[in-house]
Amino acid sequence: MNTVRNEATVATGGADLLAVARDLGKSYPKVFRRRDRLRALGKLLVGIDDLDSVPVLRGVNLDVLRGESLGLIGENGAGKSTLLKLLTGVLTPTTGSVEVRGRVGALLELGAGFHPEYTGRDNVAMSAALYGLAADELREKLPQIIEFADIGRYVDEPVKHYSSGMVVRLGFAIVAALRPDLLITDEVLAVGDESFQKKCVRWMEDYLAHGGTLILVSHSMYHIQKLCRHALWLRQGEVAAAGDVFEVTQAYLAYHERKSVAAPDRGIIAAQGVEFHLLGLAANDLEQETPVFLNQGDTLRLTARVRSRDGRPPTVAFGIARVDGTAVYGVSSEMDGIAPQRLDAHTWVAEIVFDDLTLLPGAYTVKAHPMDTEGVRLFDTIERGIVVRGSTREFGLVRLHHRWNDAPAQVMAQNGADSASSSSS
Amino acid sequence: MTLDELQPRRVGKLRAISLHFIRRELHNRYLGSISGGVWALLQPLIQLVIYGFVWTYVFNMRLPGAGATPVAIVPFLALGVWPWNAFSEAVLRSATVIQDNAGLIGKVAFPRGALVFAASSASFLLHGVGFIVVVIASELLGVPLQLVHLPLALLAFTLLFVLALGFGYLFAAVQVFVRDTSQVLAQLLPLMMFTAPVLYSRDYLPERFRAWLGWNPFTFYPEYLRAELLGIGTVGIGAQLAALVLAFAVLALGYAVFRRLDARFEDFL
Repeated sequence: MNTVRNEATVATGGADLLAVARDLGKSYPKVFRRRDRLRALGKLLVGIDDLDSVPVLRGVNLDVLRGESLGLIGENGAGKSTLLKLLTGVLTPTTGSVEVRGRVGALLELGAGFHPEYTGRDNVAMSAALYGLAADELREKLPQIIEFADIGRYVDEPVKHYSSGMVVRLGFAIVAALRPDLLITDEVLAVGDESFQKKCVRWMEDYLAHGGTLILVSHSMYHIQKLCRHALWLRQGEVAAAGDVFEVTQAYLAYHERKSVAAPDRGIIAAQGVEFHLLGLAANDLEQETPVFLNQGDTLRLTARVRSRDGRPPTVAFGIARVDGTAVYGVSSEMDGIAPQRLDAHTWVAEIVFDDLTLLPGAYTVKAHPMDTEGVRLFDTIERGIVVRGSTREFGLVRLHHRWNDAPAQVMAQNGADSASSSSS
Repeated sequence: MTLDELQPRRVGKLRAISLHFIRRELHNRYLGSISGGVWALLQPLIQLVIYGFVWTYVFNMRLPGAGATPVAIVPFLALGVWPWNAFSEAVLRSATVIQDNAGLIGKVAFPRGALVFAASSASFLLHGVGFIVVVIASELLGVPLQLVHLPLALLAFTLLFVLALGFGYLFAAVQVFVRDTSQVLAQLLPLMMFTAPVLYSRDYLPERFRAWLGWNPFTFYPEYLRAELLGIGTVGIGAQLAALVLAFAVLALGYAVFRRLDARFEDFL
């Protein structure tokens, strides 16, 4: 395991990469009984590292450049905290490597590492030592920390007498004084009173303006979009999407929209033995829960496989809707007079191709429904997410065919009478 | 900044962390209570007085070539009891120190070895002070101590610290995986004490048992201290070398085990 801890390694020139992770994975060993622990100990002692374990993070690749903040999004249990702990060096990776060049400040659980019996001042000294601050550096920064925390005489009282807000103040003050190269933070800024929050936000803005780098975990897409240029979406321990903050957050929101529609369980539908049901829906051959990314003008190919109980040919309908549910377009094989292809006695397949996709950039949902042969009754639905990328400034849902006329003769002739007759747009 | 420049910074950080942990250890154990500072000095003296009384008047123990006065027996016992207290407390405290600091380990990245080092150091510092108090008390009571050999005695004390630290690393790491380790240790340590000449002299044993004591890694320390400071008995150069090699071998083993298991502590705490 070639892990480099974050102690005091400093970028060695070249591209200013602050944090790098390659194929990073973490598994927690399954330990239920005492015997498991003993066996694990024995294995580790002889140098075998393949403990029976549950993976919580798999194959994460990450590059964070200095000054380019990263937002981490995902549902609870997706592995966000594990990834943060790997970055801070609290956890050791099971597979792959993670490297952070520079001083890391972590605002994970504020006041983590504070000892309740000791005074604020003692705890500041301890935290500073843990962060790698030498005694003379601490002496220099202590007044600054105490001033930032602004908790008055409480700084010489045991931390157990503190309100939670005071613990937060002191914790933030330490990190603020450290001015880390990389600041890793969970959703912690939502604590403390109004004036302190403002102070934190001001500090954060100043930190970012002066080239500070942030890795932020948040459920607030607003904050992620405001503070970060890149985002990484973790889903069940794997990277579902990574890249530009707007694309990733849109894809994440789209996924949630679809999820909240509560797609029925495919197994249950199959067991119900309805006349027609879907076996699968692929967008450009990808049959995944996470959205498929396309560029404006790409080809979108949707393939639906339908099982027919009685062997009668189904009608297959396809639809595209915006994430908020606004329908964009829908069409069925029956409307176009097309018959789906038969694969075997009970399985049919229908494929529709949208060449030169005219959807404007954004997140969309594509759907497939099997209907009876007559195209009357609708039986089943599968949805997939697609995200169309692009940088156009047009607005709406699709690009309509249009052209701009050059100097219409009759308008010129009317000499500026009624310009509403312009046929453009 | 090159790697060579970084090295002192890392060492500096490690030193700062270790010092903080040592301070906390001392604070937690004695200095936090009001009578703490006094108690740290008083306790070894009271213990010594009781031992002296019991050994002289109850067990009627005689030192080889000396009378049965409490004054004579006290330094003899002290040179067994203080090293033992330091050693056993260091090992026991070290064994649980990783588990006790699970909260900190799960939240902050720092070299965890510093915790073990601090636990062992604190024990040796405390009992080192006690040891010096006893030496001064003996001197004041008129027991002839060969104080010119005190540096040698302190060297032996340091070697004992190396041994304790080695065991400390070993058991601290194992304790994370097998939680009974510290309980078993608490049972085994008194056994180790009674099979070493802590409270008695090897000469009191029947001839055929005497050689057996040599297998106890602790035997060397009270015998060496008594030989140097009190002039009771002698310790051969072979035994001295064996103790030296053993202490560093245990440290190497303990630290190797600790290093190997270190990365997995979080998973098992």
